[in-house]
Order: sequence, then C-alpha cells, then structure tokens
Amino acid sequence: MVNLKIDGKTVEIEQGATILAAAEKAGIRIPTLCFLKKVSPTGACRICVVEIEGVAKPMAACHTPAVDGMVVTTQSEKLYATRKQIIELLLVNHPLDCPVCDAGGECELQNITYEFNVTRQSFEAEDVSPGTIDGWPLIQQVPNRCVLCEKCVKVCHEVVGASALFTNDKGDKAFIDKHLELCEYCGNCVQVCPTGTMISKTFKFRARPWELRKTATVCTLCSGQCETEVQTKGNEIYRVVAEDGCGSNDGNLCIGGFFSHGYVASDRRLTAPLLKQDGIHQQPVSWEEALSRVVEKGRAAGGAACAGLGSPRLTNEENYLFQKLFRAGLGSNNLDSEARFGFLRGMMTLRDQLGLGGASNRYDRIGSAAAVLVFGADVTAEAPLVDWQIERACLQGDGKLMLANMRRVKLARHANIFLQYKPGSETGLALALARLIVDKGLADEDFLNQYLADPAALEQLRTVDIDQAAAAAGVSRALLEEAADHIGGAESVAIIFGGDLLKGCQAEAATAALADLALVSGALHGDVGGLFPLDEKGNMQGVVDMGVAPELLPGQQDYATARSRVEKAWGVSLPSGGRDAAAILEGIEQGEIRFLYLAGVNPLVDFPESGRWRQALDKVDFLVVQDILASELTECADLVLPGVSFAEKSGTVTSHDGRLGYLQPALKPVGEARPDGQIFAELLALLGGAPVEAAALQTEIKDLCGLYEDVCFTGRGRRSCQKLPWQPQPKQLKILPVSAGDPVEGLQLLAGTILFQFGSTTTYAPGPAEVAPAGYIEMNPQDGKASGVREGGRVKLTTRTGSAVGPVRFSDAVPQGLVFAPVHFADVNVQQAIPIGSCYVAVEAGKA
Amino acid sequence: MSQVIFSSWGRQIVDNRQGGETDLASLKLKLPDRYLENGAIGAFMGWDGIIVLDRETDIVAMAAEYMKRVQEKYCCAKCSPGKKGTRVLQDTLARIVSGHGEERDLEIIEGLSALLDNCKCTLCMTSALPVFDTVKYFRDDYLAYIRGRRKAKPAASYHDKLTAPCMDRCPAHIDIPSYIEEIKNRRFDESLDVIRRNMPIPAVCGRVCPHPCESACRRALVDEPISIMVLKRVAADHEWMHHKRPPMAPAGSREKTVCVIGGGPAGVSCAYYLALEGYKVTILDMLPEPGGTVAVGIPDYRMPRDLLRREYEIVQGLGVEIKFNTKLGRDISLKQVKEQYDGVFIGVGAFRSKPMGVEGEDQGYEGFSEGGINYLRAVALGQPIKTGKRVIVVGGGNTAIDCVRVALREGAEDSILVYRRTRKEMPAESYEVDDAEEEGVQFEFLRNPTRLVHENGRITGVEVVKMELGEPDESGRRRPQPVPGSEYVIPCDMVIPAIGQDPDLSFLEEDNLGIETTRWNTIVTRGGVLMTDCKGVFAGGDCEIGPMTVVAAVGQGRRAARAMARYLETGRTFLDEADAMEDLVNNLGVFDKDEPVGLAGGTHREHQPKISGPERARGWDEIELAMPETQAVREAERCLRCYRVGMVAVG
Repeated sequence: MVNLKIDGKTVEIEQGATILAAAEKAGIRIPTLCFLKKVSPTGACRICVVEIEGVAKPMAACHTPAVDGMVVTTQSEKLYATRKQIIELLLVNHPLDCPVCDAGGECELQNITYEFNVTRQSFEAEDVSPGTIDGWPLIQQVPNRCVLCEKCVKVCHEVVGASALFTNDKGDKAFIDKHLELCEYCGNCVQVCPTGTMISKTFKFRARPWELRKTATVCTLCSGQCETEVQTKGNEIYRVVAEDGCGSNDGNLCIGGFFSHGYVASDRRLTAPLLKQDGIHQQPVSWEEALSRVVEKGRAAGGAACAGLGSPRLTNEENYLFQKLFRAGLGSNNLDSEARFGFLRGMMTLRDQLGLGGASNRYDRIGSAAAVLVFGADVTAEAPLVDWQIERACLQGDGKLMLANMRRVKLARHANIFLQYKPGSETGLALALARLIVDKGLADEDFLNQYLADPAALEQLRTVDIDQAAAAAGVSRALLEEAADHIGGAESVAIIFGGDLLKGCQAEAATAALADLALVSGALHGDVGGLFPLDEKGNMQGVVDMGVAPELLPGQQDYATARSRVEKAWGVSLPSGGRDAAAILEGIEQGEIRFLYLAGVNPLVDFPESGRWRQALDKVDFLVVQDILASELTECADLVLPGVSFAEKSGTVTSHDGRLGYLQPALKPVGEARPDGQIFAELLALLGGAPVEAAALQTEIKDLCGLYEDVCFTGRGRRSCQKLPWQPQPKQLKILPVSAGDPVEGLQLLAGTILFQFGSTTTYAPGPAEVAPAGYIEMNPQDGKASGVREGGRVKLTTRTGSAVGPVRFSDAVPQGLVFAPVHFADVNVQQAIPIGSCYVAVEAGKA
Repeated sequence: MSQVIFSSWGRQIVDNRQGGETDLASLKLKLPDRYLENGAIGAFMGWDGIIVLDRETDIVAMAAEYMKRVQEKYCCAKCSPGKKGTRVLQDTLARIVSGHGEERDLEIIEGLSALLDNCKCTLCMTSALPVFDTVKYFRDDYLAYIRGRRKAKPAASYHDKLTAPCMDRCPAHIDIPSYIEEIKNRRFDESLDVIRRNMPIPAVCGRVCPHPCESACRRALVDEPISIMVLKRVAADHEWMHHKRPPMAPAGSREKTVCVIGGGPAGVSCAYYLALEGYKVTILDMLPEPGGTVAVGIPDYRMPRDLLRREYEIVQGLGVEIKFNTKLGRDISLKQVKEQYDGVFIGVGAFRSKPMGVEGEDQGYEGFSEGGINYLRAVALGQPIKTGKRVIVVGGGNTAIDCVRVALREGAEDSILVYRRTRKEMPAESYEVDDAEEEGVQFEFLRNPTRLVHENGRITGVEVVKMELGEPDESGRRRPQPVPGSEYVIPCDMVIPAIGQDPDLSFLEEDNLGIETTRWNTIVTRGGVLMTDCKGVFAGGDCEIGPMTVVAAVGQGRRAARAMARYLETGRTFLDEADAMEDLVNNLGVFDKDEPVGLAGGTHREHQPKISGPERARGWDEIELAMPETQAVREAERCLRCYRVGMVAVG
C-alpha cells in the first residue's frame, strides 16, 4: 500500500494504482475524456493532468502510478487553463454538426467543453482529417469528430480480442482505421466512442438519445445472456446498449446484442393467430377460437399421440408452463427440445459423473484462470461473452490458452497451442491430455483423494494410448505434451467445450473424458476456472432445467424419482413413458404422433435431419406452431400462434453458469400477439388446470425445482441473480471408463455456428445480413479442387442423411478433409444432410 | 573547424550574429560541417535547441519545415496536445513564412510550446523547444516576415531523423520506444515486427545483449532504467510460445547472389536483410551448428540452443542457404568465393584465443586449455573434453565468466577465476559476475599468473603473483602492478586462459586481394559502408570491430546488407540518408545524463524470475525464466517514449 496526499486529503491505495484511482478513492473527481476503466489507460487526452510536488512537468493522473509520499494537486488555475486549452485544441476543426450528430446529447466532448466553459477558439489550423468512412458494413466512421482517445482500439483489442481497429497515418491526419477482415461487428467501438465518430448505421439519424425509453433486460440470443438496455421510442427498438460494470458482459455486446434486434420489428412478425381453414389457406382467427382448437385437437389425439417441442428461445416460466401443459394438461410426456442434440447429452454425462447440471463455476471466473482449454467450440460464435472472459485471462492476463478444434476459429490467433484434431478423435485427445497430466505427476492428488468416489479409478487413464490418440487426432505428441504441461501445471484451469463436441457423435464419451481432464487438472478445484459446457442457444439451460425432456422433471429431477412429488404438487397423475425428439419424429412417421406443438422452434432449419422433419410434418394431423416470425414452418402449420419476442415480455432465463436474467417488457406485443407464457397458461386453464399468476408461478417453480431455491425470480431492481456455485461433494465424483472411439474416414461435413448469426432468428434482422446474408459452404481449397468446384461456385453435399447445396467459399480455416457449413441459413439448410446424433458426417462433395 | 553563428544546444546560448567567434569543438558539439555530397550544413535543429553554422540560413523557414515534418512524418497522434498542437504550430509557421502572419501568431507559438509540456511523450514536446528558441532568439526574423519585409529562402535541402536516446545508443538502432509501446498495448507480434526491422535474432539479443541502450535510458534519470532487453525477449518468446509462424517474406526475387562467410550474428543479419530484399544468399560456416559464437561461445544456460536454432530456421525460411562445416581458407578460398558470387560479406568473428604470455603455456601440458573460447566451443559442440576437478580460469571478461560457470556444470568441484584487477574493473557484465558467485564460483582478484606448474606434463597448479592497482591507464582503469616477491602457487588440475581473442584472418594471406588489416588483426573497411579494400567484399562483426557484442555485430551486418544492396544495384558504395543521419545524430549524442527530466518517478524496474544459484549451477536449463506478459506490460508502461526529431538544413 502507498500513502499519498491529493488536494490535502490523505489516501491509501495499493501499490501500482494510478493517481486517478487514488483520487477516486478519496472522492476527488479529476476530469477525464479518454479514460475507460475496463481497458488499459491510454493517456491520450491529457485532460487529467495534475501537479505533483517536486515534479516540474504536469503528469496525467490516469497513467501515473501513485507513489508513497506524493503530494498531488488536481485543481489550480494553471491546470484549469491547461485543460481548457487542450479542449480548445481538441475542438480545432471539430465539425459543428452536433444537431445531427448521433452523439449529440450524450457526447463526452460536449460535456467537457461545457464544463470548462470553452466558448471561443484561440487556435486555427487547416482541416486535414480524412473524409467519412462509409464503406464499412454496419459502422460509419467520421474522422473529423474523433478525439483519438483510442477507447475503440483498446476495447477491440483488449476486451474483444478482435484487434481490427488501429490508428492509421500520422499527425492531424491520423484516424481510426480497421482491418475489415478481423472485425466482429460487435459495436463495442460505437458504445465506447465518447463522440459521434463511430456510428451505428442501424441507429444513425433515427432518434435523439434523450427521447429513448430505457429498459434493463437480458439478451437471449446466446447462452452468455448479456445484460442489456433496450432503448425504445413508440413501440420500436431503436438500439440496444449495455452498461459498464453491469453483469459478466461489463458493458460489452456482440453483433447479436448490438446489431441484431431488427428481427423484432421484422415485417414477417406474426400478429394474429392463423388457422388453416380449408386445409390449405391460413386465415386469421380469434385467440378464443385458436386456443379452443388446440384443446379440442389435443384432447382428440390423446396424450400418447400428442408431442411438443419446447425452446431455448423461451423463458424459464414459459418452458415450465409448456411442459406442465403437456404433462398435466394433455397427459403427454412426449416432450423434448433441441437440447437433445447436444447440450443435454453432455449435461446428462456431467450429472452422472460429477453431479453437475451445467457449468461448474461463473463465467467471470474464467477471466482470471491461469490456463484455459477450449475444446470443440467456437466460443466467439457460441457465447461471445465467454470469449471476452478468455481474452481477459489470456490476452490481458498471463493465462495460457489451448484450443482444440477441428477448424481454425478466431481464438487460434491467441492460442499458445492449437490442437487441430480430426473428426472422431476428440475423446481420445481429451483422454490423452488427462493421462499425460497424471503421468507427469501434475494431477491434483489431494483434490482427487478427497473427492473421487474411487481414487483407484485414475488407473483407468493409464490405459490410454497417447501416441495412438495423437496420431488419430493428427497432432504431434510434443504439442500434446506441451498442452498437458500448461494445463497440468496451472494454478487454475478453465475448460470450455461447445457445439462441435457436444453435437458430435462422441458427445457423451468426449464429455466424460473432458470431465476426467477437469478432475485431474484441478479445473473443479477452487474458486477460479471450472468446467463450462456451452450451447449457442439463449436459454438452453432453462429448457433443460424446466424439465422439457421426457426423462427430466423441473429442476433436472429424474422423472421416475420425482414423479410422485410433482404429481402431488400439481394434483394430477403424470403420464408414463415419453418420447424424445428422435422418437417423436419416428412416431410422426409411423402415424403414432398426430398432434404436434412446436413452441418457438423450427425443426426445418434448426434440427438435424431437417429434410426428414419436413416430410414428417405433412403427416401430422394437427400441427401447432407458436412463433414470432413467419417461416417455411409456419406455412406448414394447421394453427399458428403468434408469440412475442424477448423485448415484449417478462420472465427469466438461465445461463449455463447459473445466472438468472430478468426480461423486462420494453415494447407492447405486436398486433394481437401474446406472451408465450400467457398462451400456455390459458391453454392449461382450458384443459382444466388452475389459472396461473406470475408470482405464484415463480413460487411454484422455486418450490418444485431444488435447483432454483437460492435465487430470486423477481429481480427487485437487480439485473440478474447468480445461483450459488456448484460445490463438489466428497467421495462423489467419478472417473468414467470411456474409450477413445473410432476415428472416422473420408471427407467430413461439419455443421456449426458462426459469429454473425444466432440460430435462425437473426437471419430476419437487417443488421447481421449486412455481413452474413446467406448460407455458404466452407472448403479447403485442396478439397474444393478435388471435388471439381470453384471458389464462388456451388457445391452439392451428399451424406447418408440427405443433401444440401450452397455456394462455396475456399478457406484454409478448414483443414483438408473437412467441410464446414453454418446452420443458420434456410437457403442452404445444411441440416438436411446432418444426421441426428452427430454434427459431422462423411460427405461427398461435387459440383452442383 | 566550423564556426558557430548561433547555438542554443543544451540550453547554452552562444550568439555570434553580431560578431564573435566560437568553433564547434570548443562547444563540444560533434556536428559535421558537410552532409554527404549535398553541401555544407547551414544549421541543425532538434530536441535540445538549434545550432546555426551559416548566417544565411533562413531560420524561420527552417522552423516551418521542421514543424511540418514533425507533424506530418512523425507525430504519432496519440495525444491531443501533440496531434493538434503541432498541426497548429505547423500552420501558424507556414502562415508566417507565406507572408500572412501576424504578431499574435508568435504568442500562439510560445503558448503552444508551453502547452506541449503536457504531451504524452517527448516527440512533440522536444520538437516545440527549438521552434520556441527561434521565436525567442530570432524574433526580428519573424517580424520581418510578418511585416512583409522578407521572402522565404529555404535551404537547398533538409534532412531529418527520428531518434531516441536508447535507439541511438543501440548499435543496431532498434526503434526501442516503438517496440515497447507495442508491448504496452499488448501487441507482441507487432512489437516483434518492429524489432525485426533492425534485429533478426531477437530471442538472442533479448537474452544475451549487454544492452547499452539501458545506459541511455531517460527513465533512469527519473527512477530506474527500463528493462529494454528483457522486453525484447518477451516479444520474441511470445511468438515462439504461441507457435506462430513469423510473418516475414522476401520482397520479390533478384538474380544477384551473395556469399556470407561466417554465420554468427553479423553474418546472419547481413544474410537476413539481403534475403528480405530478394537476393540469393548463401552462408558458409565452419561450425556444424548455426549461431557462430552465440552457439559455441555463449553457454546454453544463457542462450538455449533450441531457440537459437529456431532463429536460424526462420532465416533459412527466407531462402538463405547455410553450408555448415565449410571453413574459409581450408575448404574454399576467398578468391573462389569472390568469383562465384556477386557480393561477399566476411563475418568470421574473433575466435582465436590470445596467449597469456606465461611460462609453459606453449608446452601442451595435459589440463591446459588452449583458450576460453576453445573450451566453450568444445563443450557446446559436445566434443570430448575433460574438465578438471579444480579449474582455474584466467581473465575478467564475459568469456572468463562463462568458462568458470561452464566448468561447474561440467563437473568441476572448484571453479576459480583469477583476475589481475578487482571486481570493479572486470569487463564482464556485473550481473553475470553476481550470477557466477551465486553459483559457487570462487574469485581470486589482484592475482596474475606467472607460470604453469606441472608434474610429468600434467598441470598441478598455477603460480600467481599478487597485484596492486596503480595509476589509471588509457582505458581509465587503474593499472595493476605486480607486488615483487609475492608469488605463490594455486593448486589446480586445469587452467583455462580467457584473456581475450582476436580474429583468425589467415585466409587473407593466400589470395592477396589487397584487403588491409589493423594491428589488432581486424579487417579495415571504409566510409561507414563496411566495404573492404577489395571491391564487392564487405566485412563486419568481430572480425572488423574486434571482439565486441552480438548487438554491435547485428548492427554492422544490417548496415552492410543495406550498403551491399545498393552496391549490387548500382555498382557503387555510398551512405544513404538513413545511414548518414543515423551517424550524424549519433555523433552529436542523443542522451544527456544531466538532463532535468522533471517527471514523476518512484517506480521500480521489473525483473524476470531466475532459478536459484545452487540449483542452476549443475544444469544447463536456462537460468532466467520468462517474464510474465502482464509484468512486461507493467514495465513497458514505465517507458517515457523519448522520441525526438533532428533536422539539418544543407546548402
């Protein structure tokens, strides 16, 4: 600690802290312009200069360390004059377009000009700043408004890790430029810009900041669930921003949060219930009629012939009501969601092995980890917030980053080690890493002895053939050893895995192997790091937690075990059996499922074997589609029920790390659309259940789900509520005997997510369409040539499941032998070629 | 010697405009009177004032040009007063020169000069200083412009140079503030790019450089110097620790070929920069291993061999071919090389041990090493060599220190350094002496060997005489003198003389290409372009300077490469602007150890962690561990970025 005197006040602060921090601690305000707490100090504007006794020159408080015995003056006539002159300099050639500048009213340059009463200009110079940059998608750059504070550059590099922005040119011509190919279009540069230099094109010229109504809510586009503020005027979202210091996202957003809200205002929004009247044409009907039709058709089909698919797009309350509607109202346990294809598979393994039903720790505990292993995930695309935590650990901090993935994703740029493995080798690779850690004596022995049910089970790892695993993965043993040294030697380890692993054919075994690795590496030990399964979809954890799966009741309770308790609480008897998604599909095909209720889910784009779903849906007697956007799916529906977007409803969502986020309605529902929960509740009431009030519902969920007993559902003014972190139970953790699995042969097609789109929802928004307008197929140039296709040409992909056609992009981000296609786009609809149970599959590629 | 008309350099005002004579030498100003072929130097303007040699020089026009260059070429724009202030200064001066100035413009210049004291770094701050001087001391000239009584009479040419004390002091002239700035910004790859512009072996010089730059670090005037060398290692290690492929690629491909003889730091630097230009470069090296003296003269615990090899793989990746086990004068003659290639660079180093001049050293006793450098080489190459149990190393330089430490690692129970002066006078880096002591090396100071003691041709001891220090010699160190009759014998079973080495230039003798050498057995080159008296044959590194540092060799290798490229294209050798200005500011001196810096200090230099002495003394692992990057960033944040711009007006 050091002691110093600022304006006569004594303040004590930790060694290395700046004068600015010390002043803040002492309650003394030093004016700043370029300072941004969440990035390293830049010291560009010099407005925070202070005087220090015994020091001839003025020093910038934001980047001068406080030193023991310093005597600092923050206010003096000279300092005032200096600051004022600097502001005058900043205003030389600053355009007087404040009336039409987006920043007008929330401009820090305006504010500081006003504060220092700068009413005249003593300086003049030729205006040499370059012209406005209009050529970038989504963001406009107006250099003559720039004060070159570099907040944008620093956020882009230090927080987001994109490193797209940089200062170009010299002197007064200098401006912020961009390596366009590195831009992630997160909009954080726009958010941190103190002036109107970085402008959101989707917001530009549309509203004055003070006109906007602000509603604190949560982004539901991915499982990061960033805390946001939706800003509206009339009944329209104008922009979405985030506040520094709030939530794990700390004021940061990604392209999803910042630029993709346009789908809410899409002209394809569903505004009234539509009923297929004559078997062909859908006609608007009243809610009364629509709901009674559901009840009638559902009852007529009988529980065994009814099936429903819930959604990670819906809130916890909605998913809870949906499963209750099915189980208690329709007497059906044919209930599932797309968690089935990935997340649930990993989660069930973790439950069995570790008693863990999600992530083992909070996302913000990744940020201080000494080593991070990202396995089978494009974190940047699946949960950008987790990417930012990794940047905090490994780019801002000293953490070592290991990336194991089939394709080269953004994090490869920052990784110490990139293990580019071949499809089908993931389990073996994870096991090999675990064994190496044990062999090298780096295993966390004390922890293992205390927590493993059978410490001797560690010996199983000794049977792993490391060389074979390395060969199968196509990585060198030396690299593997180095990765093991980093992971095994680190004080704290975060292991993060996602879609490419969780949706692969080895999901269960690979998850078990990663859990083994987490155990031996100490990832589950202590407050920092952890084990983090990820899924791209917003409330994937909530769907599972609320029991939208035939084997689970709310609170991730085993169906058979908790059945009587739930029956008692609900006062009904629960149905037996139950079909999962694949069985529902088979049931439809075999005519056994005749009533299908799709709530916020589109199997025609989002589900593997989407072509098979397409055919099956024709066989359903009565198809209810509840959604917010018209699609190829709603066209098939017998009844379309218009739900509402995240911005039009209240409720909660759960992130994988056990944070409950509160949605607040910022808009009134469009047309006659109704909040999804209200639809389910009314149906439940029509089917004989008791009417549900919001408060009572939350109490019911809390009472019934042990999982949620430590959180509060109402927010009470807070943005989110964090569940207590998972604690391992002594002698309860297991090493599961899994084997490496068989390597796959031949060219493989991998379907996955990309950063610019979230599910298929955002393909309805104009923002992301500027950078990712349509589907495509990424091929290694060698494979492309071998398949006879050309860059930009069209390729047909044929697998045992089906085929898909799309334009080709050559890229060496995919290695030879791997073809990648994003899942978001209905035009390519790669899911037609992807089998249930694996996101990668042998494929033949040929010219289309 | 040129007469000074006016000088404010170093804040010392000499004004002879109204008469009086002062020559440059009397002011200790090492400014040449001519610039290349361009003509006489009229004035110099820079961070410490102005020096006017020609009263006809239009100082106002020069100030305007100077500020234009500062703003348009160098101002980084990363602080508001610098970015905007120098622009206002530029335009104000231009206005005056164009005849549209007003008297109040002079107040603006003076006011801004003071405001620029608030700048983030010294570039704009120090650039305002000479301009302020012009307004203060050449006010009448300004007023003449303002009153329309004068038209601009610019010099025939102006030549500028961006420098910094550290950058100037570094023999390779690495842009140190820039690479430190990139580390501060957590952009390690970019930092390494900057380093590689002047230094192709950053992992080496990030470890073993004696870092003369740090003795010219202005931060030391505030608290402690920046750990410049270690920051270089951090940048280099970042690439290696992330398995990144270096981004360099040759610019096109040229037909001309170059042979580099000797693949040490000088040779590899020359090869690297020529390869980047697209020339086909072949390195001939007598060793079986890349690295030259770095490989066989610097022990692995200071410079891990795998990292050294990686540096060379990178150079080979640029198309440079290395032929190992090929010795000039043995396997190929210089004449042959000259015939086969369009250009030749001799960088054969200095690896021949000097004799001690004591009785018995030419007798081939068992246990007597030919020399420190030979001993280190044998160990480095894994040659069969027996290290004694009680080893005496004679000498006080880096090689001597390396030998005592290597002997410990090779199994010596006692490793003793004998030196004729005291620890204070040792030419070895003091931290290495400390390191050696921590490892258990014993020191015998003020002792000089007089005779080797042997039994049946096997060394059993060294007779030494006690010394005392007398008057300072030409090196400034007190001259050691023997104390008559104080001889005694230190028992030992091995003696390694490490009192110096010089180049082996025997290959020059056969060919008679007219290459002149010095009495210290080094090659003579001319005109700062490093060409020998034989056209097309260049030389650099230890064989040209005499045994020096890696970084000096790198600096020469790079300069030679640039001169050779010009030679290969034009058939002529000449200094270019960059070389000339580099030399000009270097002679003038950039670092002023007495400068009142006036900034807040109180911070400490960051150190990289180190394996403890006893633990490391018996192993070959690198003893200095990597500095964590956050610590490096913290250290980089201490950098004051002491950039400054100098400009000469010529003709």
